[in-house]
Amino acid sequence: MAAGASRDTRALSAGLAGLALCLLLVCGLSIAVGSRSIDFSVVVDALGGHAQNSTEQTVVNDIRVPRTLLGLLVGAALGLSGALLQGVTRNPLADPSIMGLSAGAAAFVVLGISVLDIRDLGGYVWLAFAGTAVAAVLVYGVASFGREGATPIKLALAGAAVAAGLWSVTTGVVMTDVDALDQIRFWQVGSLAGRNMPVLEQVAPFLAIGIVLALVCGRALNGIALGDSTARALGQRVEATRALILVAVTVLCGAATAACGPIVFVGLVVPHVARAICGPDYRWILPYCLLLAPAIFLVCDVLGRIVLAPGELEVGVVMGVLGAPFFIALVRYRNLAEL
Amino acid sequence: MTGGVTTLRTAPVGASIRTLRLHRRRSRFALTALLGALAFALFVITLTVGSSSIPVTDVLASLFGLESNEGVDFIVHDLRLPIAGAALCVGLALGIAGTLFQQLLNNPLAAPEFVGISAGASLAAVSGIVLFAWSGIEISLAALAGAFAAAILIYALAWRGGISGYRLILIGIGLTELMLALVTYLIARAQIYDAREATHWLTGSIGQSGADELRALIVVLLLLSPLALLLNRSLRTLQLGDDAARGLGARVETARLGLLAIAVALVAFATAVAGPIAFVALVAGPIAHRILGPTQSSILAAGFVGASIVLVADLIAQQVLPVALPTGVVTGAVGAPYLLWVLVTLNRQGRGG
Amino acid sequence: MTAALLIATTVAACGSDSSASEDAGGPWKFTDGSGETVELESTPTRIIAHSHAAAALLSFGIRPVGIYADVPVEEDPGLKDLDLEGIEILGETWGEIDVEKAATLNPDLIVADWWPVEDAYSGTEGGVKAESKKIAELAPIAGSAQGDSIVSVIEGYEDLARSLGADLSEEGVAGRKQRFEDAVAGFEAAAGAKPDLTALAVSPTNELLYVAVPEHAPELLDFRRWGLDVIIPDDPDKAFPYWENLSWENADKYQPDLLLVDDRSYPENLEQAEKQPTWDTIDAAKAGSETPWPGYWIHTYEDYAEQLESLTAAIDKADPKLGSS
Repeated sequence: MAAGASRDTRALSAGLAGLALCLLLVCGLSIAVGSRSIDFSVVVDALGGHAQNSTEQTVVNDIRVPRTLLGLLVGAALGLSGALLQGVTRNPLADPSIMGLSAGAAAFVVLGISVLDIRDLGGYVWLAFAGTAVAAVLVYGVASFGREGATPIKLALAGAAVAAGLWSVTTGVVMTDVDALDQIRFWQVGSLAGRNMPVLEQVAPFLAIGIVLALVCGRALNGIALGDSTARALGQRVEATRALILVAVTVLCGAATAACGPIVFVGLVVPHVARAICGPDYRWILPYCLLLAPAIFLVCDVLGRIVLAPGELEVGVVMGVLGAPFFIALVRYRNLAEL
Repeated sequence: MTGGVTTLRTAPVGASIRTLRLHRRRSRFALTALLGALAFALFVITLTVGSSSIPVTDVLASLFGLESNEGVDFIVHDLRLPIAGAALCVGLALGIAGTLFQQLLNNPLAAPEFVGISAGASLAAVSGIVLFAWSGIEISLAALAGAFAAAILIYALAWRGGISGYRLILIGIGLTELMLALVTYLIARAQIYDAREATHWLTGSIGQSGADELRALIVVLLLLSPLALLLNRSLRTLQLGDDAARGLGARVETARLGLLAIAVALVAFATAVAGPIAFVALVAGPIAHRILGPTQSSILAAGFVGASIVLVADLIAQQVLPVALPTGVVTGAVGAPYLLWVLVTLNRQGRGG
Repeated sequence: MTAALLIATTVAACGSDSSASEDAGGPWKFTDGSGETVELESTPTRIIAHSHAAAALLSFGIRPVGIYADVPVEEDPGLKDLDLEGIEILGETWGEIDVEKAATLNPDLIVADWWPVEDAYSGTEGGVKAESKKIAELAPIAGSAQGDSIVSVIEGYEDLARSLGADLSEEGVAGRKQRFEDAVAGFEAAAGAKPDLTALAVSPTNELLYVAVPEHAPELLDFRRWGLDVIIPDDPDKAFPYWENLSWENADKYQPDLLLVDDRSYPENLEQAEKQPTWDTIDAAKAGSETPWPGYWIHTYEDYAEQLESLTAAIDKADPKLGSS
């Protein structure tokens, strides 16, 4: 705690501005680069609406732009929800999959495919959202039994329990319904590919609300990080804050997973990087996550578009492969016990 | 959890302490034996149920070779015995390995599936199925190799002048996510029948493999369990934490490595037999601990609990459910209520966290 | 097992089964798709079959006593419209066969597809439960080999049925084969009339557009043989050579005149594809020139005839000047 307490506000603000600029550049990259090589001048033309080749105009405007915007929002959502979870559970390992939220999304999607015969991406969005919400309610509900309410260890255990139960359901269904398996195995990889304006329109409001909620919670997280009793002594209403934060997490994760399927590492790693840069103050960690996470996410997506052209490698795989060495380096060379 | 050392320091109260310890040891022995009997009873039950109802006496007669009836023998020896045997051995191996992990890493949530070994086995097996159209024993060997490779990799990455349990788990989680991302990718790209085969393997099912893998597991169990019990004494000192143990002159690293290696080997061979069966390793130790009371957990007891869980799960998966499903689906469904039970009881004792 | 054979021979001699076996007492020999020869003391009458093989046998008038399927029988495309009265269902999940129940049926023969790549029959592949593999110990297995043609698969089962004593000149059976032969003739005529017509077999998903490589799809190889130019993609996935993966940005890489859409989740996959902004950059898609393409499940003349007839209609409607390739 002492080590990180005194960081220069001016330096941090400058850092944030620099990061914002970076993010802008990454967005430009995401629009200009893809599995189809399009000249930069054509990209600019397309954005203006007067590209000569109509296919390329469609690719830039109807595929890459919505995809970039979605990547921005989803990346930010994942990064923020990871930071919130780690703060509220005081557990540096927390991320949406540990809390059973991804399992909830997957279970509902697979049930929707098998029982309700839903096959379209728009339908998946609602199912995944509902699944995440149900899992979150279950986890929070179970963890709240008893005097102390939903303490970190109880949340972790409840998350593991709910994940287990939901995983069983999902597996049971795909074992008996090969069609459901055939659909969900693509969704499980986690990808921005094929998500265009309709998906963006569906989830953007939730992502926006979630992001605002998350940023508002920054100060409260600082208190909670000190421990429940300390936080109460400081005048915080711990239960209410915790509930609000979990609502924000549910909205963010739900919408993010709904749009792209389960994505690993963003929620786990980015908060640690942010913390390494700006110390333990959540009023800085959250804005840094807000900018850092989408930057990393979009860069990985762009990489995935290049390496297997004319095909694509899904961003979920890229994040999995690149995120791991990064995370491991983080664990090895920085003592993660210091939060 | 402090066991023998504290009682030594309070020697003047000697006699009554000694009686207490003897009492505890006797009841611990009795309870462990009871658990063993339970596992055996479930083993016999597994042999007696099935689509064709065969009287228990006939089953036992066939089992011990007292009578020879071709039809009954085929069903008992060729169909049911490998299943029951595999369930028993896999459960034993996972139970023992799970409790070893938990004690070594000092964390009740430590389990092979979180530490990355199961993921390594899974990646190797799925690659074999999807990329190389391997079958049967080849898949099991791949799983074995994958488990060991992952264990070595995790250990190497986590080693920095020594092993901290915390770092090991973290790196294990990181590698698990990586490997599972690759597994998901392979399943997405495969032909649907390969994807189905891979998913079936990943779920974990008793009776998935043949006699060779089971024999290997039995040998490993027979060799390594006594070794683990012997090394268990060092384990108690480890539970005091690294610093205290070092102070007592215990050779922490060697003992830890040895027990870790045993645990890894048990999981690897069990996974080669049945695929990654979820949650058995996680819950067997704590359940045994709860049953035996506040003394140290018995590794053997954990093994018996593991065996019982797997046998029950297999019975449910194969006989009770309307559609036959792989065992792993049921253990996942069992893991959930168990964890919830932990929560509720933790709660009542006011130790919620 | 001797008891089983004895019962089987007696039952066959009484002629109560639908399989008309004239030489019920004589030895039976058959070399199947794997190249192995099965020899039994008499013609088998109690047959357990994998779902696809069962569909084939049933179409030739051979009625198995037991069937094991990979999905619930009402959902299996080959079995769902058939009358399975009196046939024991031994499993409806891939990899799980109730071998105990199978044993009580006393089978003489197990029939399932032979997969050369997996070196196994359907139901005994690498990843199934070891117990399921024990079904091979109940009776010998025989089956038609999956290879580079659906026709050869069906013909393989036709040969097996004939050797099992089926009457292939029976009205229904012969009629179905005739319909198939007519359908092939119609297909060849339609394809021949439009030699410049190109077709592309695709499987659209939300993330990618998969283009099928005919070499790994026996139906597509049949179509090519009968004169339809199914485009061969030039850059298949190195690790998974059955498809070339195209990102939706590159959906227009190939411009066929007719799109063959994977029928396994049709028409939902087509609806999803239509929502992709670049789907219409494929001229054939924009013109609505598409038709479902049956993947992997066809095992009978009748099913194949039906599919060929609808494909022929699509070819007739298609405009060979649409696409450029």
